[in-house]
Formats: sequence, C-alpha cells, structure tokens
Amino acid sequence: MRKTVIYAALTAVLFSTSCGEKYLDEINTNPNAATATNLNPNYLLTDGQLTFANTGYGELLYESTAIQALASTFNYYGNGDKYVNTSGSTGYQGVLFSQGYTALSRLQQAIDIATAQQASAAAGTPNATQYVNTIAISNIMKIMIFQRITDTYGDIPFSQALQATQGVTTPQYDKQQDIYPAMLTQLQTAINSLSATGATASGDLLYGGNVTQWKKLGYSIMVRVAMRMTKVNPTLAQTWTEKAAAAGTLASIADDALVRGDASYGDTQNATTNALLTTDDFREVKWSKTLIDYLRTTGDPRLGAVAEVPKNGAANNANQSLPGNNDPAVQLGLPNGYDLTGGAYDIRKRADYPGGTGSTDSLAVLGKYSRPRLQVYIQRTAPNFLLTYAGTELLLAEAASRGWSVGATAATHYANGLRGAMQSLAQMSTAATISAADIDTYVAAHPLDTAAPLKQINEQYWLETSTTFNFIEAWFNWRRSGYPALVPVNYPGNVTGGTIPRRLPYPATEISNNPAGYAAGVADLNGGDKLTSRVWWDK
Amino acid sequence: MRRIIQLVVLLLLLCPGYGFAQTSKVSGKITSSAADNEVLIGVSVVVSGTTQGTTSDADGNYSLTVPTDATLVFSYVGFVTQTVALKGRSSINVVMAVDSKEIGEVVVTALGIKKDERKIGYAVTRVDGGALSVARESNVASSLQGRVAGLNVAGTSGGPGSSVRLNIRGVTSFSGTASPLIVINGVPIDNTVRGSAGEWGGADLGDGISNINPDDVESMTVLKGSTASALYGARAANGVIQITTKSGSRTRTTIEYNTNLQLSRAVDNTDFQNVYGQGSQNLRPTDQASAIISGNTAWGERMDGTPTIGIDGQLHPYSPVKGNINNFYRTAPAWTNTLAISGGGEKGTYRLSLSNLDNQSILRNSGLTRRTVNFNTSYDLTKKLSFNLTASYTDQEDKNRANLSDAPLNANNILFLAPNIDQATLAPGYNPSNNGLETAWNVDSYTTNPWFVVNQNVNNVGRKRLISTLSGRYVFTDYLSLQGRFGYDYSSDRQFSVTPYGTLYSTAGEGALNALTLGSRLELNSDALLSFNKNLNQDFSISASVGGNYRHNKFESSRLYGGQFIVPYLYAPSNLRTRNSEYLYTELITPSLYYTADFTYKFLTLSTTGRYDRFSTLPDGNRSIFTPSVSGSFIFSDLLQDQLPALSYGKLRASFAKTSGEANQPYLTGFYYNIGNPINGVPRANTSSTLPNANLRPYNLQEYEVGTELKFFNNRIGVDFAYFHRQTNSEIVSAPLTIASGYDGTTVNLGGTLNRGIELGLTVVPIKRGAFTWTSTFNLTKLHNEVLSIDGAADNPLQTGTYRPLNGFIDVVKGRAIAQVMAYDYQRNAAGQIVVDANGIPVRGDLKPMGSAIANLYGGWNNDFNFKNFSLSFLIDYKFNNKILSATEYYSYTRGLNKATLEGRDTGVLVPNSVTQIAAPTTADPNATTYVANTVVVPAYTYYPQLATNISALSVLDGSFIKFRQLTFGYTFNQSVLSHTPFQDITLSLVGRNLFTIMKHTHNIDPENTISPLVAYAGVEGGSLPFTRTYGVTLNVKFK
Repeated sequence: MRKTVIYAALTAVLFSTSCGEKYLDEINTNPNAATATNLNPNYLLTDGQLTFANTGYGELLYESTAIQALASTFNYYGNGDKYVNTSGSTGYQGVLFSQGYTALSRLQQAIDIATAQQASAAAGTPNATQYVNTIAISNIMKIMIFQRITDTYGDIPFSQALQATQGVTTPQYDKQQDIYPAMLTQLQTAINSLSATGATASGDLLYGGNVTQWKKLGYSIMVRVAMRMTKVNPTLAQTWTEKAAAAGTLASIADDALVRGDASYGDTQNATTNALLTTDDFREVKWSKTLIDYLRTTGDPRLGAVAEVPKNGAANNANQSLPGNNDPAVQLGLPNGYDLTGGAYDIRKRADYPGGTGSTDSLAVLGKYSRPRLQVYIQRTAPNFLLTYAGTELLLAEAASRGWSVGATAATHYANGLRGAMQSLAQMSTAATISAADIDTYVAAHPLDTAAPLKQINEQYWLETSTTFNFIEAWFNWRRSGYPALVPVNYPGNVTGGTIPRRLPYPATEISNNPAGYAAGVADLNGGDKLTSRVWWDK
Repeated sequence: MRRIIQLVVLLLLLCPGYGFAQTSKVSGKITSSAADNEVLIGVSVVVSGTTQGTTSDADGNYSLTVPTDATLVFSYVGFVTQTVALKGRSSINVVMAVDSKEIGEVVVTALGIKKDERKIGYAVTRVDGGALSVARESNVASSLQGRVAGLNVAGTSGGPGSSVRLNIRGVTSFSGTASPLIVINGVPIDNTVRGSAGEWGGADLGDGISNINPDDVESMTVLKGSTASALYGARAANGVIQITTKSGSRTRTTIEYNTNLQLSRAVDNTDFQNVYGQGSQNLRPTDQASAIISGNTAWGERMDGTPTIGIDGQLHPYSPVKGNINNFYRTAPAWTNTLAISGGGEKGTYRLSLSNLDNQSILRNSGLTRRTVNFNTSYDLTKKLSFNLTASYTDQEDKNRANLSDAPLNANNILFLAPNIDQATLAPGYNPSNNGLETAWNVDSYTTNPWFVVNQNVNNVGRKRLISTLSGRYVFTDYLSLQGRFGYDYSSDRQFSVTPYGTLYSTAGEGALNALTLGSRLELNSDALLSFNKNLNQDFSISASVGGNYRHNKFESSRLYGGQFIVPYLYAPSNLRTRNSEYLYTELITPSLYYTADFTYKFLTLSTTGRYDRFSTLPDGNRSIFTPSVSGSFIFSDLLQDQLPALSYGKLRASFAKTSGEANQPYLTGFYYNIGNPINGVPRANTSSTLPNANLRPYNLQEYEVGTELKFFNNRIGVDFAYFHRQTNSEIVSAPLTIASGYDGTTVNLGGTLNRGIELGLTVVPIKRGAFTWTSTFNLTKLHNEVLSIDGAADNPLQTGTYRPLNGFIDVVKGRAIAQVMAYDYQRNAAGQIVVDANGIPVRGDLKPMGSAIANLYGGWNNDFNFKNFSLSFLIDYKFNNKILSATEYYSYTRGLNKATLEGRDTGVLVPNSVTQIAAPTTADPNATTYVANTVVVPAYTYYPQLATNISALSVLDGSFIKFRQLTFGYTFNQSVLSHTPFQDITLSLVGRNLFTIMKHTHNIDPENTISPLVAYAGVEGGSLPFTRTYGVTLNVKFK
C-alpha cells in the first residue's frame, strides 16, 4: 500500500516537470537540421546554382528538339519534336518555373541569412561583412534566373516574388516590359556591390568566388538581358549593351560560366546526361538533320567533335560505353517530326532513310543516324553551360552591326565568338578539342558577311548554344532573332497548328495557387496560356 | 501443430499464480427468474469491496474461494444485482430477477471506462468480433464496411494489408486520412499510414490497424460523437474505434483452434471496345518495333483475324483476346491458423493465442505473412490490487507491395493491353540474354512491362510490432479506486525497394536502390485515473473520475538509396555507383489532464467531461487548450411503462462537446536547413519547402448531437437515431503555395468545415418462432458536408491531390463538400454549342467542381438467419453521391480502348453542333466573340486523346454503388453430436465476399477502386489492383 502511494506520488512529480513550456519547446526543436544562426549561407548559394544549372529534361523535352538541334522518334520527346502533347507534357511545361523559383528561393534565403548574421555581428568586425560577396553573387544569379523564367513564360512574379516570409503568398505577376528594366538596374546594383577586398564567397560553383570574373559575368548577363529587347525597345537595349561592353564582359573561354557535374551522387550528376542514358533516349535521341546539315555544308570542324554514328547493330547501339564513329563524312542527322509507328510519318518511309544497321535479330533501326558523342556529352561529370564568352561576343557582334558602340567591330566580335565557340567544346570534354590550327583556318575562311550580319551571327549563336547543350538559350535567341530559319514539322495531332512552340504554358498549379496572378499573366498574352502565344519581346 | 500446443502448455505451466487459494470454497448455480428458468452464463460474481471474483460457466455454475465472512455480489446485464452474505455457507444458488429497466448493455467508453448503456448520452455502436473474423479482411478495418451507422469505410486497392480510410460522420479534416483514433484495451495505438501512392506512383504500405489479428478481437466499439471521444482529446476529433481483445475466463480452460482458407479472384470490370486492334494512325503494326509502340493503344485497324506481327515479333491473329485480366492475375489463397488457450483461476485469467496468416495477392509474387502472438492476463495480487497485462506481438512481412497510380514498375497497366494482344506474350518481361533488360511492350518505357514487374520487382516491407498495456488497479473501498496504465506500442519497420536491374527507364538499365529503410515508431501513453462510484441512495448515484495522460510519440528512420548496380542483381547498398542516405526524426509529447462525472437520478443521467491538453507541436503561448463536454440521457420508457406497453425501452439523449487538435507533425513552427550532398567538394544546404508558421494554434471542433433509442415488442424492433452537427474551426492544414513565393507550401490555421446529418440504425426480428430467428439490421447515414471558409479572405480553392493525367484535381472549395473533384468541362457559346479550336478539338472550358469524392449517403443491410445449428447471413451495403477521378477512363480514351472511341473511327470525328471562334474578346471589346459552324473532321486517333486531355470532365465518374458484400453460412456441431469426442463444439462456416454488384455507374472500373487512403486523394482511381471476389471456409474447433 505504502509503495503504491510512493509510486503514485513519483508519477505525479514526473508528470509536472516534463510538462514545462521550456521542455516542450525543446521537444519541438528539430535536432536533425541547421538553423539560420548556425548555417553558412554559402551552402544555400551552392544549392541554388546547381538547381538552376542542372536542367535535364527541363531543356530536353521542348527546347532541344523545338530548335532542331536534336531530333527523336521517341514519343517522350514528341513535345518539342512534333509539338504534340505527350503523357508527361503538362508536368514538363512547368519544370523551368518550379526549378527556377526553387533556385531563387535558395538564393533569397542565402541573402537573408547572410544579412541577418552580418547584422548580428559587432559593427566593424570582419564578421559584419563576411558575406558581402556571397550576397552580391546571389543577387547577380537571381537576375540570370529571373530572365530565364520570364523568357520561358512571359509575365511572372518578380517584384513580389520570394516574399512568403513577409506574408506575400500570392505574388502579383509583373509585366515583362516592367521586369526587364528592373532586372537591368538591379543587376547594376548587384555588380556594384561586389567587393574585391571582401571575403570570398566559398559556395560559388562558377568561379570559386573570383570577384573579377563575377564582374565580367555580371556585365555579360547585362548584354544578354539588354539584347533580348532589340525588337521591342532598341533604345534601352543599346544603352545597356553599350554600358556593359564598356565595363568589360567575359574575355575568354576561361571566363565561361558553367557548373560541372559530380558523379558521386544522383543529384549532383549532370541531369541531361542521366536523361540521355535512359535506354529509350539513348537509342532514339539523335542530332537533328537541320544541325548536322548546317555543320556539313559549311565544313565546320565541330561536326566530328560533336557527333558520332554508333557501331553496327542494336546491341552496340545500346552499349553505353562503346563510342561510335565520329568521322565527319559518315555523320547523318535525323529529321524532326518522325516516328516508328509504321504509319505515314514513320522515318523508314522517307525516301532518304539510310536503312538500319546490324542483322535482323539485332537491327538498329536508327543505327546510321548521328548521336551526341558519348565521350563528350554523355558524361555524368559533364558541365552545364550557363553563359559563355562566345555567346557574349556574338551578341556584341550583333550590337556592333546595329551600329552600337561596343568596343570592337562586328567582324571582330564575330570572329571572337566563332573562335570561342569552337574552343569551348574542349571544356565540354577534351575529347572534343578542336586544334587551334583548324579553328584559325575556319575562322579566317568564314568572316562576317557585313551585308547580312544578323543571319550569320544568330546562326552561329544557335550552333554555339546547341553544341554546348544550352538548348534553352538557343531557343530564346531563335525566338528573338528568327535565325536559323527553321522549317516546322506538321505532325498529326500537333497542338500548335504546325508551328514551333514560342513559349511554355504556366504550371497548372498556378491556376489554383495564385489565381489572380495567373489570370493577369494570361490576360497579357495574345492568344492565351498556349505554346503559340508570344511574350512581350517576341515580336 | 502439436508442437505448438506443447509449447503453449509449457508456457502456461511457467506462468505462476493461476492456482487456487487456500480459504473456504463456495459454489453454486445461477439461473434466471424467467419462466424457462434457463441457466445464466457469464454472470459476474465478485467479493464485495474487492476485484476478486469469477463468472458463471456454460452450465451456469460458479466456484470461488473466499473468506468465510465474505459478501458476494452477483451482477448481470438486464438483471437486478443481488448481494448475498456468505455466512459460512459453501453452496449458494441464485435466481436472478429480470430487471425491466436494465436492458441496456455495458459499453466500453473513452479511456476504457465501462458504462451502462442507459447512462450514455451519445451514440456508440458495438461490433462483435465474430463478424470480423468471419469476414476476414487482411485489414480488419475493412470488415466494418456497411455495419456501423455513421462510419464510411474506403479501402485502398493495393493488395493484402492495404490502408483503409475510416471516416466517422463525414470528413472534418482537409489533411491526412481523417481517421478515428484507434484504441486497444483503453490505450491509443499508432495508426500512421506508412506510405501511400500519389499521382507520381508509389505503393500503399499499410496503416497501423492493418496489423491487428481479427481472431483476437472480442469486440469493436465505435464512439461516434465528439462527446463520446472528448476524453481522448485532440486525436479523437474524428471519433474513436475501441478494440477490446479477448480474455480468459476464471472458471474454465478453453482450447480453441480456428482455421480459415480464402480464395480471391480478380474481377474484370472493363468493358472496352473489341472492334479495333492495336496500332497507330488507323494502321496495324507492320514490324516488331511498330507493334511495341502500340502495345497499349488500339488505334489500329478493324480486327479481322489476319496474322499480324506482335510485340514478341511473332505472328498472331489480329482478333480479340479474352481473359487477359483473369489470366494475368492469379487465384490468391489466404490461409489463417489461430490457436488459442484461455482459462484462469480465482486469482486471475489468461488467454494466449498464436496466429499465422499467409495471404497471397492476386498479383503474382506479392502477398503478406503475418504471425501474431497475443497474450492477455489479469491477476489479483491482493484483494484490493489487481493487474492486467495485454501484449500483442506481430511479425508481418509484405512481399512486393504493388506500385499503384503512375506507370513505373506498376504491373496493373496490364489493363491497358490492346485488345488483340495476349498478356502471355509479354512474359517473362525481360531478356535473359541481353543483361536481363526489360522487354518493351509500349511506346513509353516508363510504363513498365507488367510481367517484368511480377518477375523482377522487389518492394518488401517488414514490420515487427509490440502493442502492450500494463494496468494496475487499486480498490480503496467499494466506491473508490485508482488505476494506473501504461501503453507501449513500438514498431520496427524495414523497407527494401529496388528498381530492378534491367529496368528500361533506369539509367543505363542498371536499376537503382530506392530504399533500404530501417525505422521505428514509438507511441507511449501513461495515464492515471482515480474513480469514484457510489449509489447515494436507491435513486441517485454518482460516478466520477479524474486523471491525466502523458503521450510521447517518437519516430526515427534511416534510409540508404542510390543509383545503378555495378554487379547485376546484387541488390546491396555497397554495389551502387552512387550512394545516398537520409535520416528522419520526429518527436512530440502531449501532457493532458481530464475529468469525467456522471450524475444519475433514476431514469436521468447527466454527464460532463473536461480535458486540458498541452501540445509540444504548437508554439509557446498557443499550445494549451481546455475542452469541455456535457451530455444527458433520459430513459423515458420508465415513465411510460403503463401507458405504452409495446415500448420496451425508450431513451432520449443529447450532448454537446468541444474538442481540439494539434498539428500532426512537429517542427512546423521554425526555420530549418538540411545539409545536402556536396558537389565537387562544396557543401550544399536546402530548406524544407514548407514555410514555417510561428503562430499555429490548436484547432477546435464543436459538436452537438440529439438522438433516441427505441425498442418495441420485447426488443423485436429497435431504432437508434441520431442527428449531429459538427463544426471545425481554424483547422491546421498544409496549404500549397506558389513556388514563386519562395515556398511551395505552408501550414496554417485555415478554414472551417461543417458536417451535419442523421444516422439511423434499425434492428428488426421479423421472425422468432421456435428455433428459427431472423434478425435484420439496417443502417443509413446521410450527411451534409461543407467547407465554410478556407482562409476567410479570398477563399481560393486549395488543391490537395490530383491524378496522373494532371488535368483534374481534388480540391477544397468553399461552399462545397471536402474532396471536391475539379475538372474541365466543355467550353460552350451562349447558344450552348460546344466550342472547338481550329483543329476541330473541343476547347477546354472552366475548371468546375464536379462533386465530392466522398459519399454522403451510405450504409448497409444485414440479415442473420438462425435455425438450430444453422446460421445464414448476408450483408448488402451501399454508397451514394461520390465522384471518381478516373485515370483508367482517361487512358481508355487516349489509347482507343473506350467504347466511346468507336464513334468516327473510319470517318473521322466532326463534333456535332459545334462552333469555332473566329474573333476573340479584347480589352476594348469584351463581347467580340463570333462563332462559325465547325466543319473540321478530325481523325479519331488524334481526336480522342486531345478530347480527354482537354475535357477532363469525361474522366469524372459517378461512384455510387449497391453491393452484395457478404454471404455466410455456418453450421455448429454441438455437444450432442460430439459427446464422445474431445471437442466441445465445431463450427464450419462458408463465406463469400464481394459476390456481386447490384448497382453501379462505372463501365470499366469498380467504383471502390482507389489508390490512396488520404482525404487529399479521395476518389483518385487508376493503376491499382482490380477488385477481388473472395470465397472462404472457416473451421472453428473448441476442445473440451
């Protein structure tokens, strides 16, 4: 009896001490995660950069085939290759939106945490400015990301974006014509805030925090943003392009902005590579006839660097470690808009179908078409190119040809661009290195035709971005410049009336999660939330 | 078998304390005062002022060793309690008088408090364990379907052991399963859904209640109203299901053996077209490659029997193939064996059962085994102090949990095989001479070959779980007692899931390790209860308790995963090209205090309860809440006995209660950052994409209820009716946000929901003549469920779930029932004509609410016929007014399988009476719409896929049904036949489950097919196992 009472009393005591406010707070603290006070914000910058760069299917399913860099008979790629809706299209239309804002969210958190940690340090101590470059770099990155999102969809949340922590959970959609000037001024502010003497941003994957290179990248982003407005606001385009050129843009391929894959983990590997290693993709994703024909007609040395024909037979075609034949003479591009269904659009019914390779038991139906070279592109450590010296020089060539003052002549910038484009393949993989002599010969033999510069410059831009697997940028610039003059396909059941997609529909979740914003965004589009509608700068 | 019996006997010998005491022995026979003087079984005989006692056996005899000066209390439901002083006698025979007032039964209410049914002011329903063990569903909760007014049971079509969504009186919650709290022997257990499928696939990994062995269940009591469950606080906001497990008897030893064999068959619910065969663009395949591309599309030519190349490269007649579903799925046996030994002595009782279930799935190579040991004992340490221990240990192994919903590694896509393909041509699903690479059978490698899945997939889930309660009770006096209780529910889970080597869509065809997860979950509840029960005089009594509970829940798991196996088929974490790991941890505690008090004056009882909770998951300052309840019961028949002799029992009841709830996850109130995998040596960090909310507060729920119970003509007719009105406020919800805000979701106190409705239970005994009895019970629930507000401001709909085609959604919509199916309808002009685009395809109209996925009218009708030793019963159940978002329907359009796609196959489709818009509204002129008649004829193979994509209303189906759920037939060989055998009695029963559907509106699916138990995904159908029909036989043997 006495024992029972003692036990009861003990239980009562235990009960009261373990109910205190402080104890419950402790229980409700996640022991398995960092907090804003002990996390180094550079880690968030790193994650934001990788999330933005590693697009995978986000650049393959629409952009790569829409601009006829790649072609595929495989149904999954029908979105961009044939302008049809495949089973995954709704989801993939929203990828660049969600990836983009996820990356932006990381950067915003990096900025917020860095700012808060600096503010809590004693003024004048090194800690009070320890993240000045981390913040500056994050702000520059943000502009690059915002531009990609708005170029893909049109009006997007910008001025009120990323403010959920301040209570803004349904940010307004800003008009693209308002976003562009704002991006330029914000970019200038961010570049100005880089500090040559400040602590290095250790989380930077692009340049390891090198402030000089970031400055050049910042101004090169400025060129890209400005040049997008050539049709809709040439005055503004000129002002900012000239300002950027004067300040100094990327000076060589050593300045190229790229994020290299890391084979160690699934989410650090090059996602485009992983997509192309899928059995069906590996078998049926080829270089487009448009691109291969272009390289062949111009005798471009890049042909043998980027393309290969698989060894004969289905088994060899499927062998992911067996390089093919990269002899330029045998390269053959696959026309866009074809399938293997046995119907009218079966590739085998084309007059120029070269036949398969291998025996009946191991027949590779597409065996004679060129694929991206294994050693160059299909590597888990392959880089994702974000912005290059070559691309910037080509944009400056266009600016110069428009009579704007950008340091050098159009012909010089053009030659720089062409040279850089060929050199940068070595950054993709040393296996794609083109000798300096070959480059010199080609560049000398193909000077800018000043009578029709835009065609030549933008076709080279298309080649440069396509061969560095930066298909999203290739698509943007094709929409802006109209070059190369691509012939659309007209496959049964296509949803664009036989025209190449000019934007992507907003993610379906926006309709319910931000209905007012979505409605405003759609209202501003001529033709509704469709693949065929055009964004503000696309006239 | 014999070895098990030996083992059991050995175990029992080791258990001390069941022996007989030394003092004097009293025995006797207990009979009823009714005319036939029948013996009464199970009468409680207790020594006054103690817990010491026994119950009468099957012959009405009792025997007890007691102090010579003891006073015995004989009590039995429906009879007047008698108190008899021993006065040295050794034999006391008792005749119990029928109590006209006491016809209610004893009900186990919240916290395990037993109450006379007469005194209860709210609705409860008791389901006898016998009904559950006959119905024998692998998840015992499924057996409740159609049996309890107010309870809506919806199982997941994922094979044996899948989760079940249980909703009492509608859905009050936007999130989770909104399932009631499951309580075993007075202590809550963990009923977490361990995994469920969404639009991107996944497998159902079962819930907590699915581990319970039906053979150990004595009864289940469903506490429906909030008043009933108020003492359990937050977690009981959705009601309570209390499970009482079987226990032993003090007077006799029973050995019981139960064996049950069931066979399940898939039911082919499809009614696809059988005219056109596989192919694309109106052409049949011409070679193996084009055959593979069209393996699941029937856009080919009219089937004419001509030999045509198939996906295996061989020629097959181009004609319909029958029986694919029945040939692909197998007849699945489920065999249960349970052995139970129970008994006791004067000091206590025990029951030990051992059970083994081997339940194959109709999906080959999939199924579960469950071994259960259940032990229940009570022991009187002294006259005043007694202990009770229940422990149930379950070892469950689920082999190859089926992937559902989305296509990857989902074998159920066999459903979509083009009509001329024999499923056998897909086998074995992989090519042994080509690195085991999966054999493609359709255009999309993410739609895995079903035979590859059957032969190669590994998705095993194991669970070892101990559910135990230890309670002690000390009786101070005959009116005051103290009870302490400790509930311990620990489960250790293991999941092993791979993307098999050779899977087409896996990188380099080398597969992946999805999860090697080891996890544990602990639910601890310690409680104490001081109880006071006293009859102050003959008419007035008080029954009151005060107590407290301390809940502690802890979850921990670590997972290894990674990509690409280096050595083929060696599914070891070390054999991966890339490796990853993940660690999860959550912990929460809830201290609570509560009281309950009942005041009874003759026919009137007033009750009140109160509970004070403190939730660790909520922020300081917002985490405490007190919630009260009051209820009353009025036995008006006591006053009307003379005026209304036909009325044997009449009760009115009324109640009001508040309960509250917390967030179901901890750590929602602060910002946290997770460290990710480094890239090229640079560390990475990311955040949970859920925005924390530092202002969360408990949500609350208010309910009032009125009801009546009426019994007429000596209980030949019984009516139980309830009206309830339940409103939730400030519910804690995960709300999706646009990622453009920086976060893609948050947790907020949002909205309110209303559930009001009626529950009606009718019991009629139409015939009771001689040995023949027919008992018919019917129940009906009619609900009105409505979302009153969402955020109280813009009230934008909340999207909670969707199906894989992604063009229809499950939303929370203000002014409508929860789980509203949203879909796009046709766009029409002012004249009501369908608007098509320039290509002749109907244009998508507005996203409209199409109705709730959760039925608002449901119930069942059960009939039992007993004649001597025969019993026959059948159960019909029904649900009405629920919508289904059917991916099967969508794909049947896009793949040319739906009969509707026959229209226009040869001629193309010109949408009748349709128009094309030639001028669009502009800001300047919003009315600038001009339409012209549509003349575009579209080939069927491009028309229907786009039609189903644009107009998702076509995928929304009416899920109402009436089903002939169960038929059982039983025969008991009783003692007259078995007198010279070692058997007490033998019962043989036959059961058929889901025998046929009396009414449904879906053409290609069973209306009950669903992929998930979550409310967020209610009504989402597609890519699940087909519904099954089951036949079973049970043999129950009791030994002498």
